[in-house]
Amino acid sequence: MRKLKKNWMEWIVFSVSLLLVASTLTYLAYDGLTIGDAPPSIEIRTGAPLERPHNFIVPVTITNHGDLTAEGVHIEVVLENGGAEVERSEFDVAFLPRRATREGWVAFQTDPRTAQRIKARVLGYEKP
Amino acid sequence: MERPVRKSLQEYARGVAGGLLFSLPLIYTMEVWWAGFTSHPLRLLLYVVVTFTLLLGYNFFAGLRRDAGWAEVMIDSVEEMGLGLLIAATMLLLLRRVTFDMATSEIVGKIIIEAMPVAIGVSVGTAQLGGGDGESAADTGTGEDGGGSKKRHGEKAGTKDRVHFLGQAVIALCGAVLFAANVAPTEEVVQIAAEISPWNLLGLALLSIALGALILFYSDFTGAQRFAPTDEGVAAVIIGTIITYAIALVASATILWFFGRFDNVAPETIIAQTVVLGLAATLGASAGRLLLQAR
Repeated sequence: MRKLKKNWMEWIVFSVSLLLVASTLTYLAYDGLTIGDAPPSIEIRTGAPLERPHNFIVPVTITNHGDLTAEGVHIEVVLENGGAEVERSEFDVAFLPRRATREGWVAFQTDPRTAQRIKARVLGYEKP
Repeated sequence: MERPVRKSLQEYARGVAGGLLFSLPLIYTMEVWWAGFTSHPLRLLLYVVVTFTLLLGYNFFAGLRRDAGWAEVMIDSVEEMGLGLLIAATMLLLLRRVTFDMATSEIVGKIIIEAMPVAIGVSVGTAQLGGGDGESAADTGTGEDGGGSKKRHGEKAGTKDRVHFLGQAVIALCGAVLFAANVAPTEEVVQIAAEISPWNLLGLALLSIALGALILFYSDFTGAQRFAPTDEGVAAVIIGTIITYAIALVASATILWFFGRFDNVAPETIIAQTVVLGLAATLGASAGRLLLQAR
């Protein structure tokens, strides 16, 4: 019979490693078996406008509720007054992984607080 | 007898150095971070399993305690993978590629995808970065109170001169993966494959084969002669070279597939990409193998 002779430090490293490897495998297997294949589903929320020295900015939070990553997400934000467009702004997010949230700002020359409505929508995105 | 703690620390330090040395280019490559969250979890799982198999193979045939039996090889492989995960997580946190407000799948995906090459680097570093004091080679990591291990040493000595074909193949595969993985995730491979002409491609393939043969048989690389089969005939050279290139192509295709480079692509592009990356893989499988091999 051969017997393993390891010192306390090697046992600690081994135990931690075993725990890490086992939880990694378990997580991946669980995630892999429960994940769906729903295409990206993107929710956009706009926050309170802020005044900057040269313009006005509106914080935008976008969340992907789908099971797939969206690449090159193109977002448009429009200020409307009485149904008419006052000013339009847009921005891109390079990657929006599944269940992930990204934040950004859109800039306007018009004070968004004078607009009746801030309309945000996603225009399109690629499959990576 | 137990190894002193100081000696284990030394081994872990070599491992960490090796892990960073071989995988740092990948940690600093954005395509790799992206693959961490765009890959399907089951593909990542397969990637972890394949890497673990490679680690087992490398540790068994070329690792620090390769004479020590399967239990020790298994334990070492788990430790190397654990260290790989820890090193990758630390680096990604420091580089702010992973933050705690990210989705779990994104954090885990990025860490896993970076941790695997680190783990192979740890394994190679532990085995290769040590001083040649001869002490480590004799270290079996197990206590022996029977003749079982003696027998195994005997076998080992008997086969040492002959080429251990499977062992050579596994080490060549490790070398190919380690080198090709640094080039595979970049967009450049796709671009080259898209723009290359069939004649250029043939040229690349011939160059890869010639380099493989040159490094293995005609250059004076350390340990090169060990690969050369018993009779040094032309046939042996040709067989060795073809096997090396075959291993390189397999490694190249597997890595490219993993990074999603084969998804929705025409067969010609698949072949072109495999051959383009095959050059890097051949260098790894030939020169890399000789460097990774136990002294």
